[in-house]
Amino acid sequence: MKKRISYGIMFLLIPAVVLCGAFLFPAKQYAWISLCAAVLSCVPFFLRFERGRVGTSQMILIASMTALSVLGRVLFAPIPGFKPVTAMVVITAMYFGGEAGFLTGSLSALISNFWFGQGPWTPFQMFSWGILGLIAGLLADPLKRSRVMLAVYGAFSGVLYSVIMDIWTVLWADGYFNLSRYAAAMVSALPFTAVYAVSNVIFLLLLGKSIGKILDRIGTKYGLQMR
Amino acid sequence: MKAFANVHPAACMTYFLSVLSVSMFIPHPVLQAEALLGGIMFCATLQKRREALRDLGFYLPLFLMIAVTNPLFSHNGVTPLFFLNGNPVTMEAFLYGVSVAVMVIGVLLWCKAYSEIMTSDKFLYLFGKIIPKLSLVLSMALRFIPVYLRQARRVSRAQRAMGLYSGKSFTDRIRNKLRVFSAMISWSLENAMETSASMRARGYGKKGRTNFSLFRFRSSDISLLAACVFLLAVTLAGASLGITDFTYYPRVGIIRTTPDALAVYASFGVLSLLPFIMEVKEAVVWNCCKSKI
Amino acid sequence: MELLQVEDLSFRYPKSERDALYGIDLSVQSGEFIVLCGPSGCGKTTLLRLLKKELAPYGERSGQILYNGAPQDALTDAGEIGFVRQDPESQIITDKVWHELAFGLENMGVPTEVIRRRVGEMASFFGIEGWFRQRTDELSGGQKQLLNLASVMVMQPKLLILDEPTGQLDPIAAADFITTLQKLNRELGLTILLAEHRLEEVFPIADRALVLENGRVLLDDAPRMIGTRLSEFGRDHPMLRALPSAVRVWRGIGSGDPCPLTVREGRDFLERNFNSRAEELPVPEAPHDAETAVELKNVWFRYEKDSPDVLRGVSVKVYRGEIFCILGGNGAGKTTALNVIAGLDRPYRGGVLINGRHIKDYKGGALYRKNLAFLPQNPETVFVRDSVRADLAEILEAAETPKEECAPRIEKIAERLGIADLLDRHPCDLSGGEQQKSALAKVLLSEPRILLLDEPTKGIDAFAKRDLREILRKLKSDGITVIMVTHDVEFAAETADRCAFVFDGELLSVDPPQKFFAENSFYTTAANRMARGLWKNAVTCEQVIECCRAEAGKK
Repeated sequence: MKKRISYGIMFLLIPAVVLCGAFLFPAKQYAWISLCAAVLSCVPFFLRFERGRVGTSQMILIASMTALSVLGRVLFAPIPGFKPVTAMVVITAMYFGGEAGFLTGSLSALISNFWFGQGPWTPFQMFSWGILGLIAGLLADPLKRSRVMLAVYGAFSGVLYSVIMDIWTVLWADGYFNLSRYAAAMVSALPFTAVYAVSNVIFLLLLGKSIGKILDRIGTKYGLQMR
Repeated sequence: MKAFANVHPAACMTYFLSVLSVSMFIPHPVLQAEALLGGIMFCATLQKRREALRDLGFYLPLFLMIAVTNPLFSHNGVTPLFFLNGNPVTMEAFLYGVSVAVMVIGVLLWCKAYSEIMTSDKFLYLFGKIIPKLSLVLSMALRFIPVYLRQARRVSRAQRAMGLYSGKSFTDRIRNKLRVFSAMISWSLENAMETSASMRARGYGKKGRTNFSLFRFRSSDISLLAACVFLLAVTLAGASLGITDFTYYPRVGIIRTTPDALAVYASFGVLSLLPFIMEVKEAVVWNCCKSKI
Repeated sequence: MELLQVEDLSFRYPKSERDALYGIDLSVQSGEFIVLCGPSGCGKTTLLRLLKKELAPYGERSGQILYNGAPQDALTDAGEIGFVRQDPESQIITDKVWHELAFGLENMGVPTEVIRRRVGEMASFFGIEGWFRQRTDELSGGQKQLLNLASVMVMQPKLLILDEPTGQLDPIAAADFITTLQKLNRELGLTILLAEHRLEEVFPIADRALVLENGRVLLDDAPRMIGTRLSEFGRDHPMLRALPSAVRVWRGIGSGDPCPLTVREGRDFLERNFNSRAEELPVPEAPHDAETAVELKNVWFRYEKDSPDVLRGVSVKVYRGEIFCILGGNGAGKTTALNVIAGLDRPYRGGVLINGRHIKDYKGGALYRKNLAFLPQNPETVFVRDSVRADLAEILEAAETPKEECAPRIEKIAERLGIADLLDRHPCDLSGGEQQKSALAKVLLSEPRILLLDEPTKGIDAFAKRDLREILRKLKSDGITVIMVTHDVEFAAETADRCAFVFDGELLSVDPPQKFFAENSFYTTAANRMARGLWKNAVTCEQVIECCRAEAGKK
């Protein structure tokens, strides 16, 4: 009962907050709404995880994959943009399903920003990496089967990440979708986008198979089931 | 020092969200200037001088970049300063650029202070009640990261001492890091299974799990929370009455100086300077105590 | 009162051909302190994990386990039986010490105020107050293991099971840990079941010792009786090497006196039976005339520009074909000295000469080709592939060995180190001792002339230690110079040609072990502490036994 009330409050409170914000911040209402949308899109996944029957091993594997992707972000920090985070998220999604992928993605963003600095970009990173994981979960079978698909998805996710992150930059700076600023932001981020895409492809091709093997081995050794 | 670090996480989070939402979403020059000032003062109390200087080297160019580039994208406004490639560079666009720069840097500073004050344990405490499982996952991930970092360093040294990929060339370095990273995956997942055994051994997974924390809600937190809510309410009331509306295009608007507008400026000013005020108060009290001894 | 009863327990792992345990009968009385010993792979861990149902391995089992007279499955409270394992690191779950202590109680649904009190009480009992608010990754190994113990104890267990809890700790932290266990047993009446391979400190305080061999209980008796009863299974039963020095000396002499367990009892025993006139054993000459393999010349090192010096003017020469041991306390600079020799850390003053050539002159990995090899403290860090064979092959590929030579060379080294049947296993699936031998195989494939070892005996049992000693002796006879850093004085005394003592960043003394340990009074082997009144420089159990025999022969 207590839970139901708290969910009820949440479902009333959330739209109220969003609407109030839109009303109070007329000049920046699009930025406000997009921020709210990024935060709120994570909520259903988080709640499902809370209420679902997730085993201890799966929880700890998500924690471990998250920590690994943050480790990757630190390890490869000297090379800008060259990060295995997306690859780890996609691989988690391939083997543990889209929801686990979403969680690993969003938690990686949240946690690594404890090191790299939190900011208004955090919800957008959480959303972008989360959604990349979710899509990978839906495409799990073809991704596992074909290396070409994996490479294509890697490149696609690099581009998508940039596309989503820049929307926020523009909305926040101008209060509306200023196309010329967006184009400029995309162009100036082009080298990064290219590095994202290339690094995703490299990491996915290098790590995809071997992590699959490791997970299989651990699965038989500790008698746990994937997905 | 760091009087604000001892504030209860709930009060702390409310405070940061209040200041951040106003400074991010209400583009009024006075409020933005106040947010920037508050951010600078707050960070000044948190940082050492050397760090602050290094930060200045980062924020100043960023400020100039945002302020100067805006007129290049935006040709709105009615007061051309000069023409570039046949496009007018207007004063309005330039001033708007300055205001965006003030906002961005203000928000960056506040986020810096946030990262410094809202450490991961406070964050986990706040969300531990709403999303207990996830916050445990977060807590475990936070524990794993330093452990993995240390292990990665060990692996990398062990590989170096075998003379494998120890060259200084770019590809060698990347290959070495990739090897270390893939070795880490195997090791860490194996370790994770051990940790999950340890969780089960200590009874994890039963119903009715409670959430323990060291934080206590004290009377000082209540007063801070009340002050924060009140000041935010005044500011937002001003916003809803249109007092903080401000336009740059086509012509830069006027900053209102009516009494109600001044009240709004004052309350947000106090709100954004609260941590600094607390810090100063603490320092004064401390010095008093010391001089009495 | 009988707390735990195991009746005819057998267990077999999936896909395994033989039982890991068979016909185990065991009864544990409330308040007992039982030590479980036996060689690696004898089934200790399997047995202990079966006793705690949350940790029970997958597989076929028969027989039954009764807890408090009822079948084990009836036990719902996970806090009733506490379990602490060997690796301090992987047992810690959360990122803060206080949260780790509270974790078990949170799971049991205990309200916050009660948790606050119990956690506080436990923290002060274990002396954790000083680091209560710290991050768990900032703790030392000893502190981590103490935290693991405390966070199990906070759930107020009736039975505490520990699986080689001191394996990864240095001797001082290990002794502290055992003392804490003794305190828990004596003062709280806690029932303790402890598997351990370091028996020196544990044997005297245990009520009962259980010797396991090949999955069955070989002996179940008072520690004092174990030495005698092991003889039933032949004069040279391998388990004998793992017993405390006093027992080994007593057994070696074959006396009719009651078996001594502690150093004090051992000394009394020796002094009762032999004349106390100090005699010296001949000290073997250290090979001073040989070529110098490694030379440190006034080496100074610090990690950061403004951090304190870790090495302060260390100068030493290590000769070709000797086994050189560096001993010393935690943080004295032993490992740093080794890292400097390995070229992993660069001294800011002074020089390191490897085979007479300055270490800086070895460019681009030349230092590690057919020259110098380094086995780190954590052998798992050596492996990056998914089988031991692939890892070994990798080294040969890096050295551009022709393809057809690779396989025979791998077979040869595997044969030599006794790891032939491990080649196709995953490095993570090996035990500590196996992992170490495989790691050693990998670093030896670069055909080094100098081998550096960092804490090679950490976490391995007496049998693996003997293997290691044999391997090192073989390497020495091939002319390889071995330099190792260790806490293990017994191992150093039995293996080294010369020992060096590092303190506060300086090398204090360098001598052959017999002279080295004879001149220390505290930092020496248990055998030497027992016998030093009679034969000042008898440092190993074998030497003491030899002296006793010679003495008896004179009579």
